[in-house]
Amino acid sequence: MSNARMRSPLGRALGLGSAKDGVEAWWRERVWAVALAPLTVWLTVSILMRADKGYAAVVAWLKMPVTTTLMTLLLVALFHHIAFGLQVVIEDYVHSRIKIPVLVGMRLGCLALGVAGLVAILKIALGA
Amino acid sequence: MIIRSSDEVPRTTVLKRFPVPRNFGVDAASRINRGRTWPAPRGATRIKRFDVYRYDPESGQNPRIDTYQVDLDDCGPMVLDVLIWIKNTVDPSLTFRRSCREGVCGSCAMNIDGTNWLACTKFNADLATPATIYPLANMRIIKDLVPDLTHLFAQHRLVEPWLRSKSPEPERERLQSPQERAQLDGLYECILCFCCTSGCPSHWWNGDRFLGPAVLLQATRWLVDSRDEATGERLDDLEDPFRLYRCHTILNCTRTCPKGLNRGKAIADVKKMPIERRS
Repeated sequence: MSNARMRSPLGRALGLGSAKDGVEAWWRERVWAVALAPLTVWLTVSILMRADKGYAAVVAWLKMPVTTTLMTLLLVALFHHIAFGLQVVIEDYVHSRIKIPVLVGMRLGCLALGVAGLVAILKIALGA
Repeated sequence: MIIRSSDEVPRTTVLKRFPVPRNFGVDAASRINRGRTWPAPRGATRIKRFDVYRYDPESGQNPRIDTYQVDLDDCGPMVLDVLIWIKNTVDPSLTFRRSCREGVCGSCAMNIDGTNWLACTKFNADLATPATIYPLANMRIIKDLVPDLTHLFAQHRLVEPWLRSKSPEPERERLQSPQERAQLDGLYECILCFCCTSGCPSHWWNGDRFLGPAVLLQATRWLVDSRDEATGERLDDLEDPFRLYRCHTILNCTRTCPKGLNRGKAIADVKKMPIERRS
């Protein structure tokens, strides 16, 4: 603790130095968010249009190749968006030793949920 | 709404402060107590109440809010005039920084009615009653309205805010066309009062690593200077998930800039530069 206080202000500000990286993460956050926007609108409108059509009609719609493709893209974009968004939230607010474990756990959780969604879509699309 | 300048901000705000109980989650030694009330001088007719933050670390006591009844007929029109009036005629122990009293030196930055601004360019007439005056937020307080800016100036030093050139030293001035000079408009005017950095939530949570709007604006000023030849090295030093990309375009910096500079846009321009150089 006393060492931390005796370090020069500039030394403290410099810290571990620049990561010389970060633009990639910043840019992909934006790209995935933009990709997600039209897909979300499409899904919302499509579901509202089939709100009173019943189970069979929705399953038939999900089996259409275009729907399966768009749903797959939506799930991929959605879980990328969630993972990158949560990463920023965790980096902003978590300052203890659990930060790295939380980041890894969050990534794996998003991966698991995304894969579960894809399996569900493919099961409907390829199922009997 | 995207704020482009601090004069676009509406004068009335819905929430003057975020609605959590006062002293919520605050360490017992940092809780703000009620302090003394100083009455107006006898015979004063136009009186305005000012609630001012007081803290003296040497006293060992908690910070407190002192109430001053100020005779507006006896002092100038600005908040700084009120503070000087209090110090001269009521309470000489009130401590604050001030120098130029015309918005150029950046010394008297403080939190006035919930907004960071220069005391010397804020009219008393624009304040609520009672008016509240606190030091800049998120800084260690040296005394009363005087924050410790050491870390912020160290961060400023980090971006090497001076001309870095590799060409041989010229015989005469380094020339710059009027168009190249115009690129510095909106950047060079910053007086480093740190109203913006103090108001930036990203700097509250990650101020040890995020450079904050004031320093990033200065970094921009040297990145776009046509005479500077260290743009690449400067970008290398800035490109970091915390130093630069911790800015989430909250735009408090632009809202609170007493010089009306669009800090949010300057930082957004810097964020795009590494993309330009790699694609």
